[in-house]
Amino acid sequence: MAVPVFTLQLNSKILPGRVTIGKYDGSHSCLTAATTADKERLSPVLIHSPHRRLGPTSQITGATTWSQVNKEISLLSVNRNVSALAAGRLHPELEQDILVVGTQSSVLAYNVESNKDLFYKEVADGANVIVVGNLSGYENPLALVGGNCSIQGFDYKGNDPYWTVSGDNVRSLALLDYDLDGENELIVGSDDFDLRVFKEDVMVGETSETEVATILAPLRGSKMAYALANGTVGVYNKLHRVWRVKSKNRAVAVLSYDIDGDGVEELVTGWSNGKIDARNSRTGEVVFKDNFNCSIAGLADGDYRLEGRSQLICCSVDGEVRGYDSSRLGTLIEGNVHQEAVRDLLQKKQALLMELKNYESNTRSSGFTGGQNLNAGIIPAKTSLQTTVSINMGTKSKGPHVELCLTTNNETIIRAVLVFAEGIFAGETHVVHPHDEELSSTLKVALFPPRDVPLDIHIKALVGLPRTEQFHVFELTRHLPRFAMYTLITTTAPLQQEQPQNFVSFFISERIQRVILWVNQNFLLSSELEAEASGSSLSLSFTALRDGSLLNISMHPAGRVVVATPNMTLAGDLVQSLASFLNLSNLQVTAEFPQELAHLEEWLEKVSNLQEVRIQLGADLAHRAGLVRNLIVRAEDARLLPDLKSMRDWHSQLKEVNDDLINSYNIRCSNHNELLDILKQINLLIQKAARLRVGQSKADVVNLSRTALQSNNLHSLIKIVRTGEA
Amino acid sequence: MDLELTRVDYSVTGITLPCTMELLPSSGPRLSQKVVIGDQEGVLQSFSMKKGEQQMVFKTLPGPAISRVCLGGATGTVKDKIFISKKGEVHGYTKKGKLFLGFDTCLAESIKSMYVEYLKQAVYWHVNASTLLLCGNTVYNQFRDCEDTGSFLSADTINDVIALPGEKTRSLVAVLACADGVLRVLDGVELEAQARAGAPPQGRPSTGPARSTASPVRHEVRVPRAPTALHLAANDGGAAGQNVLFGTEDGRVGLVTVTRNTPPAWRWLVDAERPGAAVSSLHCHDLSGDGDLDLIVGRDDGSVEVFATAALEPGADASQDHDVYRRFTYSCPESVSSVRGGVLGTQGYDEVVVSTYTGLVFGLTTESVDGVASMDSQSVSLSQDARRRLQLLRAELSGLEEKLAVERDRYLAAAEDSDTALSIVPHLNINHKLSLIREEAAYHLSLEAATPIDNVLVQSDVPVDILDVERNSAVVSFSDCEPESDNKVLVTFRCQMNTTRLDVRLRTVEGRAGHLRVYVTPLVAPKCAALRVLYLPPLSLHARAHHQGHGPGPDQDADENQDAADPRPYSLLSLRGPFSLAEVHAWLTACLPDLSDKPPAEPATLCFQNACMSTMLFCSYRKGEADFRSDNVSTISILKDVLSKMATSRSIHVDISCVVHPESGPHALRLMFPVLREQAALHRDLSLLDALRDLDKDALAPKFLAILESEAAIRERVKRHPTYLDRLCGMLTDLFIDHFKFRGVNVKGRVPQLLDTVYKEPLDTLLEALLRLFQEPAALSDSRV
Repeated sequence: MAVPVFTLQLNSKILPGRVTIGKYDGSHSCLTAATTADKERLSPVLIHSPHRRLGPTSQITGATTWSQVNKEISLLSVNRNVSALAAGRLHPELEQDILVVGTQSSVLAYNVESNKDLFYKEVADGANVIVVGNLSGYENPLALVGGNCSIQGFDYKGNDPYWTVSGDNVRSLALLDYDLDGENELIVGSDDFDLRVFKEDVMVGETSETEVATILAPLRGSKMAYALANGTVGVYNKLHRVWRVKSKNRAVAVLSYDIDGDGVEELVTGWSNGKIDARNSRTGEVVFKDNFNCSIAGLADGDYRLEGRSQLICCSVDGEVRGYDSSRLGTLIEGNVHQEAVRDLLQKKQALLMELKNYESNTRSSGFTGGQNLNAGIIPAKTSLQTTVSINMGTKSKGPHVELCLTTNNETIIRAVLVFAEGIFAGETHVVHPHDEELSSTLKVALFPPRDVPLDIHIKALVGLPRTEQFHVFELTRHLPRFAMYTLITTTAPLQQEQPQNFVSFFISERIQRVILWVNQNFLLSSELEAEASGSSLSLSFTALRDGSLLNISMHPAGRVVVATPNMTLAGDLVQSLASFLNLSNLQVTAEFPQELAHLEEWLEKVSNLQEVRIQLGADLAHRAGLVRNLIVRAEDARLLPDLKSMRDWHSQLKEVNDDLINSYNIRCSNHNELLDILKQINLLIQKAARLRVGQSKADVVNLSRTALQSNNLHSLIKIVRTGEA
Repeated sequence: MDLELTRVDYSVTGITLPCTMELLPSSGPRLSQKVVIGDQEGVLQSFSMKKGEQQMVFKTLPGPAISRVCLGGATGTVKDKIFISKKGEVHGYTKKGKLFLGFDTCLAESIKSMYVEYLKQAVYWHVNASTLLLCGNTVYNQFRDCEDTGSFLSADTINDVIALPGEKTRSLVAVLACADGVLRVLDGVELEAQARAGAPPQGRPSTGPARSTASPVRHEVRVPRAPTALHLAANDGGAAGQNVLFGTEDGRVGLVTVTRNTPPAWRWLVDAERPGAAVSSLHCHDLSGDGDLDLIVGRDDGSVEVFATAALEPGADASQDHDVYRRFTYSCPESVSSVRGGVLGTQGYDEVVVSTYTGLVFGLTTESVDGVASMDSQSVSLSQDARRRLQLLRAELSGLEEKLAVERDRYLAAAEDSDTALSIVPHLNINHKLSLIREEAAYHLSLEAATPIDNVLVQSDVPVDILDVERNSAVVSFSDCEPESDNKVLVTFRCQMNTTRLDVRLRTVEGRAGHLRVYVTPLVAPKCAALRVLYLPPLSLHARAHHQGHGPGPDQDADENQDAADPRPYSLLSLRGPFSLAEVHAWLTACLPDLSDKPPAEPATLCFQNACMSTMLFCSYRKGEADFRSDNVSTISILKDVLSKMATSRSIHVDISCVVHPESGPHALRLMFPVLREQAALHRDLSLLDALRDLDKDALAPKFLAILESEAAIRERVKRHPTYLDRLCGMLTDLFIDHFKFRGVNVKGRVPQLLDTVYKEPLDTLLEALLRLFQEPAALSDSRV
């Protein structure tokens, strides 16, 4: 157990994940946290300044109020629920940190020292997460705000020179020197489980996780720590996973801090059950842990004791703050190392002895074969387990699926199968445990991968004779190709079909054989495709198992590739997969998705309608509020008079107006939600359109779309989606 | 908690059963002692520690599993003779490891528990005759100098046995801890007299022709929970040798004073904090050197606790209350099989020596071994010792690894060798326990393996709720159950590194019987899984109880009087037919938990209590007739269904008659109402909380302010028992339906109204409203038509 170097109590409930630290006067660290609503304010932001200079300059009036009880605490009213909090050098000329507060509809940059706003911006997409820092390609530091499907970067003037779209709602952001060129790239984690790396506005890397990445934190070099919603914490080096661990609790905060003083940062994690632990960033080994009584709200790294080096500051949701550093940890760790080592070795010895005993008993009992206790779990030594992965078109009760078939090579039975794979089941495992009467040497497992990602599935099969109490466990791993949920149509008669309405087409200067190789690797085929004689064209038809829709991939010898599918996301996935297989750095395509584009028109119209309604409702609200004021005064007058009858009248009128107010509020709410939804759809469409292209063309789509959107130019937007050019 | 103890690991042996480790007495005060430990492979070993190194004294060859290790010695001499029991044999070793006794008892059952007592000439004509008390599952035997001197058949499983010190009581008095929650005090002299008189070795007071002689059972002390471990208070039974400590299945420790003629008085010393942890071992030792003995408790959930109590002082009386305070707690991840206080690691430092299920032996020592002050010379030398110890261990490990590599190759070669070769999974030792936690009306399943567990699969063919246990670190994953398979629950637990133990909480529904299959896959090579099948009976929430009032030793007549005075409205279910006692007992075993397989002597009377609703169930049965009384109609309904099904499957014609007390429905409702009301209130408070937080505090009524203030407590309670109200509602619905079913009214259509009442009716009138629903059969049936 670690001994904290200081503890203090903020006496407020802290919202998890919304804790930061900033040097607002340029030299002294102040812990800053969003607190839960009290009766006057909606979630005020608490700023704890232990080293606040006393004197006339600190007598500030304005947005912040200093607490009467605790002279070190000040509160900043935001009047909206704070959804994200960050502090950093946003102003290039000031040597002070600026606090950036995000809510569901706005972003506020605030200079704590001089107590004034730097800027205040409405953001339609909300602010789920904010980071402040330098981004490659931009001169001034930016406050990057991740919202619903979009990322906006604000400079200190409140301009937003940076804008891009992501595949889904943004949950986490990190600035990291990904390619070690001395400038920061932006890493984005979003609700579609993807991690994307943006260099300026070009996406330079993408990987898929098994859950939503809720937290990203830069470590040293190109290393990055991440935490998922399912309790996984791990480290990436570029896009290669170094290690990960999974816990049943959820990580609330992740920070890099050198807790053991060895000069290498550890990955410190604050968990929802109140635990904090620090892990070696290379191996994941725990070097430090402590417990709080309730969930951790946030972690920060700052010099709170004015001793010239920073402490690890942990804050729990009930306002308890503890600081740790390496000074006291070293000796404590030493003391326990020996005992831990002895315990470890003893445990290892136990395991080894056990294994040795197992082998000995095995050789002993195989001396007299048979006639032994049948419950012991005996199988022929040559038993092996075969697996095949194929596509099953399904029955009425069970839709088409990928089928995993396990068979033993003799009379042994498969008692149960545990399939471990992340992201395709509700939990992390799927178990097939057949009825006693149905046990046989063959067992089929139906898999329904919900997304098109390559998967590794780990299979544990319990194999034994019927009615045994012990089973052999066969462990194996199978790989599912990315597009496993599409089955090749192999009818000899060419499918007579009309010209596809939805398709993308592009030119690549590659041989057909290479494309066939790509198909073999990424689709689940009963037999590998063979390249036909050169000069002929390639045409393949697939059926999507999920919705039965048709997918057509054809390639002319000249290099024109047409991918026809009504699913724009799928088309994007195919283009991206093919491009990375062929190492294409840039690809421009022509896309025809009339239905999607029809939606776009509809959406843009709706947006303008909704915005109109919103203004109307706003006016309405002001009118009614005036009425309320009026009625209250009258009712009060009547009460003082005392004219009870008219007082009752006024009050009943008041009630009516109040009901109206509530009604119109509800309308406003649903209106707002609808608006958000449509904006998200538009962002998504742009993102999907961008994914159809590769490299610079991809970035161009996003930028051009933005301009088109700002000028509300529908035709230009449609043209961009179709051709990738304005 | 004024004691600070530090863990020091000593050694590792095979898997150990409870009470298989002892410390040999030292030659002087605070001098190092030697450990004697016996494991499941039959190896008995004794070692001491010298400068952190293990010094083996002796080690026997493997054999049958050692079930107990006891120390004994003639009165007046040092108790340093080691007795071990394995299967049906008892072996005696000297402290040097010389075998001086090899005794085959020829008992039918293998020995589960043993106690050794030396008796003096004043009582017997032998000088220092050794008396062995041996217990199988239900039979108690006593042997004097290896000569059978009597036996006794207990009504239920015997968990532990102990004898009062003969030198003080001048008699042979044995105390049996039985699973039906009774401490049976036997008069060994009487038994012996009976045995010599040729009476059958049946100790039951009501049976056998030996009615003329007095019963060997002197007292039956009824305690609310089954005792699992016994120990003499202060290690010698106190001044008069009459005080016995007992630990129970729910982790409590009590003290009973067994006097000769008056009924023994008992009371609790230590209350349970973590339900579901049975006491596995008790010991008394003066750890702090202040002259007062401390009570050391080891439990099977891995907790070791030290208490200071005045009750251990000589002359302490069980009838008085004594202050007990906790001096130390430690929790290890494996279940504790024995605890002993003594000196092992370093001379002059007292410690608690603990052995665990997997065979780890470690000490919790008063010596400070943390290296905070790493500068002074003493700890430098200590760390040198430590370094050498580590080196030795590492060398040993690499030796083992080499050996293992050879064996592994041989195994693989054998597998490829021939077609007829068989691959046999080694026998996996899985320690599992499924116990009902009455306070929570939930089952606690604990699984423990000798090596770290990789994963556990739990499959059930009845609906059960699987709850997570806070101290587990395993990742839980619920798998979808395909409707065509019989699976209702499929859960996997993927354990973290170095986890040898997994705890699972289950909530069952009464009336649904089935099997729970647990597949445990430990991290051993070759990889294999062990299956354990656990039966969940239909009346799963019933637990063995005593008749009303736990007065000290109420006898049969008093019970009947009490029954007459019992105001509960009992419904009756009677079975008549050509069935035997064994048959009806077998049926009941399938209905109710905690019943031993052996049919008791007729007429058998059993008493159960519902853990959730605290209704009672009395079963009395004999050949050809069985009567059941319960104040819960649901219980009667379930019993009726299950028993008639069983009788039909055996094609035995049974007459079933049922008399339902009209008041029993409302009565059961009243019994469960306090809990229901509490949960309903909690539900209401919870739904108010969010709304209240948005309001101005100054305008709130004190009632609501109180709710706001207790927010943390409310959320904590909800978190601890999620969906408890739903479960209660389920029981209420069953009760409601059963209540009217016996009157021939189907009220299923009225269930929504019942539930609506629970959720909506004001708390103060909730009981009345519910009672009204229970009392309007006519109106109800009308409204349905």
